Amino acid sequence: MEAKKKVEPQYLPPEVYLSLEDIVGKEYITQERAILETYSKFSIDITGYLKKHAKDPSNIPACVVLPSTTEEVQAIVRLANKHKIPFVPFTNGQLGIANYPTKPVPTIFIHFSRMNKILEINTKTMAAKIQPYVDYGQLQADAMKVGLWNGGTPLSTSLCKISSQTALAGLYQTSMKYGTLGKNIISLKMVLPDGEILKTGSSSVDSVDDFWEYAPGPDIYGLFRGCAGTLGIITELTTKLHPWAGEKELPEPPAGRPSIRTYREDKYDHAPPPKLHRLYWVEYNDIDSEIKALREVAHSGIGIGLNAAGIYNTYYCSTTQEQTIKRTKENFFPPYNFYVICTGITSHKQLDYADKVINKIIKETGGTLLSKDHKPEVLKVLATWNLDCIRHVCGYRMSRYSYLDTWFLSGVPAVGKDAQEIWSEAINTIGETYITDRGGVDTTPFLYASDPCGRNFFTEADVYPNPIDPKSLQQAQQLMMFSIGKTIGKKIGPGITAFGASFEPLTSFFPEMGPNVHLFMRKLRKVFDPNGVCSPGRQIFTKEELQAVPPPVIEAINQLRQMNGLDPIDVSKSQ
Amino acid sequence: MEKKFFEKTLEDYKDQVWGCARCNWCQNHWGWNVKSAEYSEICPAFGEFRFFAYSGMGKMHIARALLEGDFDYEDAPELAEIAYLCTTCGACEINCQRLQDKEPLKVTECLRAKLVEDGIGPMPAHKGLINSIKQYDNPWMQPRAKKASWAKKIKLKDASTEEVETLYFVGCTAALDLSLREVPQNTAQIMLKAGVDLGIFGNQEICCGSPVARIGDRKTFVDLANRNLELFNKRGIKEIVTSCAGCYRVLKFDYPEVPGTSKIEYKVYHTVEYLDHLIKQGKLVFTKEIPLVLTWHDPCHLGRHCGIYEQPRNVLSSIPGIKLVEMERIKDQAWCCGGGGGVRTAFIEFAVETAKKRIGEAMKTGAEGIVTCCPFCEQNMSDALAQMNNPLKLYDITELVMRAI
Repeated sequence: MEAKKKVEPQYLPPEVYLSLEDIVGKEYITQERAILETYSKFSIDITGYLKKHAKDPSNIPACVVLPSTTEEVQAIVRLANKHKIPFVPFTNGQLGIANYPTKPVPTIFIHFSRMNKILEINTKTMAAKIQPYVDYGQLQADAMKVGLWNGGTPLSTSLCKISSQTALAGLYQTSMKYGTLGKNIISLKMVLPDGEILKTGSSSVDSVDDFWEYAPGPDIYGLFRGCAGTLGIITELTTKLHPWAGEKELPEPPAGRPSIRTYREDKYDHAPPPKLHRLYWVEYNDIDSEIKALREVAHSGIGIGLNAAGIYNTYYCSTTQEQTIKRTKENFFPPYNFYVICTGITSHKQLDYADKVINKIIKETGGTLLSKDHKPEVLKVLATWNLDCIRHVCGYRMSRYSYLDTWFLSGVPAVGKDAQEIWSEAINTIGETYITDRGGVDTTPFLYASDPCGRNFFTEADVYPNPIDPKSLQQAQQLMMFSIGKTIGKKIGPGITAFGASFEPLTSFFPEMGPNVHLFMRKLRKVFDPNGVCSPGRQIFTKEELQAVPPPVIEAINQLRQMNGLDPIDVSKSQ
Repeated sequence: MEKKFFEKTLEDYKDQVWGCARCNWCQNHWGWNVKSAEYSEICPAFGEFRFFAYSGMGKMHIARALLEGDFDYEDAPELAEIAYLCTTCGACEINCQRLQDKEPLKVTECLRAKLVEDGIGPMPAHKGLINSIKQYDNPWMQPRAKKASWAKKIKLKDASTEEVETLYFVGCTAALDLSLREVPQNTAQIMLKAGVDLGIFGNQEICCGSPVARIGDRKTFVDLANRNLELFNKRGIKEIVTSCAGCYRVLKFDYPEVPGTSKIEYKVYHTVEYLDHLIKQGKLVFTKEIPLVLTWHDPCHLGRHCGIYEQPRNVLSSIPGIKLVEMERIKDQAWCCGGGGGVRTAFIEFAVETAKKRIGEAMKTGAEGIVTCCPFCEQNMSDALAQMNNPLKLYDITELVMRAI
């Protein structure tokens, strides 16, 4: 049998490795090939998958180090600068572009799995000081005990470390009341790309408490919100906490706990909502009424989570791939629907008021509340995931192919209709990769209210190609790029930029996203990262990095741009 | 026809290993049930070593790379150690299945089977265990003649020659570890007192194969399974009760996965399940009070693997005077004792460190003692308590039942 081609990483010079050993100790550094493999991959990033198929070694790090203190991180960064070796800070997760080295050179992977402590929960300032590996589930569990919580939780909470979310702007589905995480950070302790330690917020002033995000001078934190690690490494952060009206522990499903053999029985998923929480699912006959209702609910100021889910529910709430397909084909879930999560905060009266408001809006906009009298079987199934937003469980039960790539738009709810049209056109032009590709935006937009009063919503469309099949992956990549091009052509997104994060190659290949990213960030990188070693190639290419992109890639991007009515870019003229 | 598990290879899990979404729920306590940051992790190996490779997700990615030939064994000298520093507690699998419908534990077991087949696994320390099973039909290097020495003073039927309604399949560890001798003795006496027509195979009882199944020596496991099944069939065994969580899982769920096995003819119960039945049927009545505050440790192979959560709690709650207080991580999200999957044999330090973490969690409940019903858990936690010089008492559930009747 023909031997398969190996993928061989480039290792560090031995003297650098030994110096790293001195910093963290032998136990906490490795260049064992099997371990490196587990830091080399991708998840929702199609490019990462394609690199795996191409046996490209460039996404395998040279070594992984596990620092335990800010000072150790500083020493690692200084060493990397001394030897001009790139490094990638990482907690965990899926966002491919931040997951692995992007340059075909030996790269140090700094993993924060040992920096996993909640340092303080201060009930007076209603804030928590944490290390970078703390996730939402951990913080919520400890905060609930003292009547507080972080005020919003992404669906995939153990995946989402709060520090990483900060570096990516911090989007989640329950941010309508308190805003996104980015608006809740009080302070950061950062190791800058050259090894300097910097603090933001009021406590950066000697003898001043850690209570406010501002300090004398400009809003330094604003630079780091959404910087995706390009401008430094968060080693400590303080985030605001908010009142929690529920119990000290979350309710358990009355059916008890599953075993490995019974996990598919949905009874184990049906836990009641926490005390002083209420959940509504509403169905509409058409998208216009739904969007009108979304806007009204957002404007009303009630609710903490507002999400138009559409038939995304088919896979969020299905326990197997087969069930997902069956429900999609049978239109089990109403195509136009959304949920509202209300938290009473302090009183039943407040919750009753919210109830009246929601019911009035539903009536005025022609919606129908899912209830024991209307589609109770659907309501029961939906209960498996919508409360996950406040129960800090991963909401996606993606019982199917891996979840690959997401694109975002933002703005007023009308953007959902634009997204619907663009995504439909993309699928009709290139073809769907999996049955639920049409689930999110084609049939109904998947919208999250991400701001009090509904100033903006964001939407996403995901694709589900077969990760084993490179053709399917390429098809998915085309779908995404086509849609992004189209979106930019229509001057409506991609909205994640609006939340403060954007990534290469979109940043450079779609300069319409704004000169701020290109000009300002490139200049900042020169100052903050003179050796170009911190997470190179993720959020922003330098001019030199951009010009090093292979011509066929530029050509392909330009074809895509032209397909979407955009002028080709000329990288040689890039500033 | 779908393959049985013990004939599946990594290739059969190709879709799964490519599709791992890296969500990391294989490392974390299921969100609804997290009660504190301190006890929010669930994978003992990741908890200890902190590199992803030691988690379920890590095995998925390693398996993918091996399948695709991305590296060879000579490139990854620590591969076997990584694969075997897993207690096979199944925490990764239950969380992954609920979210992603993937099976990192099965992938880990297939990875181990591949390592054994390729001569890379198991660990050197496991070889003694395998040789002992081959030579003595038990993993403890004990002569067959000692297998029934615990029962010398108890009048039990010989199921190899006499008709019995219920076979007591003791399990090698409970039968041969002198420190656990009271477990089978109490079990048998309780059963007899409840009027159960009980018999044992005595010196003819052979290892169920659990240790070799978990470390990937499929050939030895299949051989043991077939010998046991042949014996059960020959003797017309219809009902089995066992003291060991490992034996229970294997007899109930692994034997049907042995290639060529048709329908299993017997019903199998773990002791706690059986005790629960006897109490509910009124055949076991408690007459004495045991004024103790106790916490229950769910053995992985009984709880998460087989779904036995409530029965031991019912038994404890039925005993007058016992107050049951729960740890934070229980039932499907219980923290492993650290002893399973061949870890105690090959990596005793890691095994005992893991048990120490469990004991620390138990101490926080304010309990005076920790109760369980798995010989491996008891061995491992007993060592941990000794090393910690910890006054917490460790009980097998049968000891408490015996004292209360």
